[in-house]
Amino acid sequence: MSVLPDNIESRLAAVAPSGIRFTSATNAKSVCCSWCKLANKDDLLSTASLMKSIGARLSTITILQPKAPSTPPPKEGETAVVPTFFGGIASDGKTFEIDYHFDIDGDTLTLVVYVPYGGDVQSLTTLFRCADWPEREMMELYSVIVRGHPDPRRLFIDPGIDNAVLERLIPFSTLVNSATTKGLWEKILTNKGNQQ
Amino acid sequence: MSNFTIPVGPLNVALEEPMYFKVDVHGETVANVDIHAGHVHRGIEYLVTKRNVFQNLVLTERICSLCSNSHPQAYAMAIEQIAGLTVPPRGEYMRVIADEIKRVASHLFNVGVLAHLVGFESLFMQVMEVREMMQDVKESIFGNRMDLGAHVIGGVRFDFTDENAAYLKAQLDRIAPAVAEITQLYRNNGTILGRTRGIGVLSNADAIDCSTVGPVARASGINYDVRVKAPYAAYDRLEVPVYVLPDGDVWSRAMVRLQEVSTAIDILRQCLDTLPTGPTSCTSERPSIPVGEAIGKCEAPRGELIYYVRMTDSPKPERVKWRVPSFMNWDALRFMMKDAKISDIAIIVNSIDPCISCTER
Repeated sequence: MSVLPDNIESRLAAVAPSGIRFTSATNAKSVCCSWCKLANKDDLLSTASLMKSIGARLSTITILQPKAPSTPPPKEGETAVVPTFFGGIASDGKTFEIDYHFDIDGDTLTLVVYVPYGGDVQSLTTLFRCADWPEREMMELYSVIVRGHPDPRRLFIDPGIDNAVLERLIPFSTLVNSATTKGLWEKILTNKGNQQ
Repeated sequence: MSNFTIPVGPLNVALEEPMYFKVDVHGETVANVDIHAGHVHRGIEYLVTKRNVFQNLVLTERICSLCSNSHPQAYAMAIEQIAGLTVPPRGEYMRVIADEIKRVASHLFNVGVLAHLVGFESLFMQVMEVREMMQDVKESIFGNRMDLGAHVIGGVRFDFTDENAAYLKAQLDRIAPAVAEITQLYRNNGTILGRTRGIGVLSNADAIDCSTVGPVARASGINYDVRVKAPYAAYDRLEVPVYVLPDGDVWSRAMVRLQEVSTAIDILRQCLDTLPTGPTSCTSERPSIPVGEAIGKCEAPRGELIYYVRMTDSPKPERVKWRVPSFMNWDALRFMMKDAKISDIAIIVNSIDPCISCTER
């Protein structure tokens, strides 16, 4: 038995003027899992307030940069078509997708927003106190800007490390400070060279 | 009285894992707490995107030792949803058995450490001795004392012989009265009550505000247990009572855990009595995993564990995100420690059963 209100889709649509795409599925054990993509990231706060008003708990936030779909190269004389996400933001491999997973007494509803690279998103900390840590983690993993966060310090990663660690490749030897592999050997050789 | 800022951690005898608290104190009383995390951050969320779906089952089990069974379970649940796999009934019961065995050991460990922090060393040893019986069960059934390696995509990799079932039953018969005895001690002993009753109180409103989960939430009057609210595995066919206490102090959290140990023993007995026959896994080969995304949720010993998995056309997931129960409960410490005494800090921290390697991944 789903505890989500029956009219949740229309209520979400009412507070998101730019449009939503809503899907929902209930599994064999009657647990409902819904997804609501927002066409405009600025509708996030109003939809999240609605979630708060129906007693939802913000479970966690996922952020990722979805890979751009492979498209055949354009024919001569045609311009390349950039695939887009719902809402018209380019799916160029750099756009951020942020999923806000809410729990409503066992059921899950995920609000999905797309933020162009270098863009920002409103903090949910004004509505959900527990958005604090997930948003801080979001900011250290990717270069997304969270507007209105009360305490935008690093959460886990040392401030001495460059920002947006998941946006670039960090060689393992660098990650572990040359504690192993080829990097260590090179470090020893360099030090040896310096001493001579 | 003067104001000081004292450091607790990152390495402190009272903490099992490194976490750094900057505690502002006014005389003997805590005024404010600032939490600095990140000492055991290993970047596992990055590593999972570099391994394929099946290798990740092994990796996720190694995120944390005390809830090592819950990670692959929630991960496998999400993958099974994407691939449309249905775990056979016997496999579902086996998952419950692995889950509840881990819960008994995990809760007893936490409650035992509480006795140690209170200074009641003989009780600490008594609790650990009872826990050791469950460790023996793990070792004889799964071959390991911590990481059970129970799950595969589509079911479990172990099966019960009649001998296993008889051994588990006999161990449960030994553990149950010992747990009842321990529970009575925690309920009535003056030393325990003096250090835990009314200490580290988290009100119901604050618990909701912090979105706490698991025994921390249930000890503050929040009736939420994933096993009941969003049933998975065989929990929809079993009787799972949820214990809720109203006071939200250290004692209530310990009592909820002890009650849940008794419940877990009861669930294990229900499983043994009604264990269906048949295969334990829906496929003996590695299934192909299509493009898709899904969420898997389960009740780890510390509360709701949620996994989000996104698969594209690659055998490696594009993103796996998980949020462990401890992640939500840290914030509640600020409320619990408000106006607490310095000497109670360790007891209060232990009462959320913090798992730092889980939190920081």
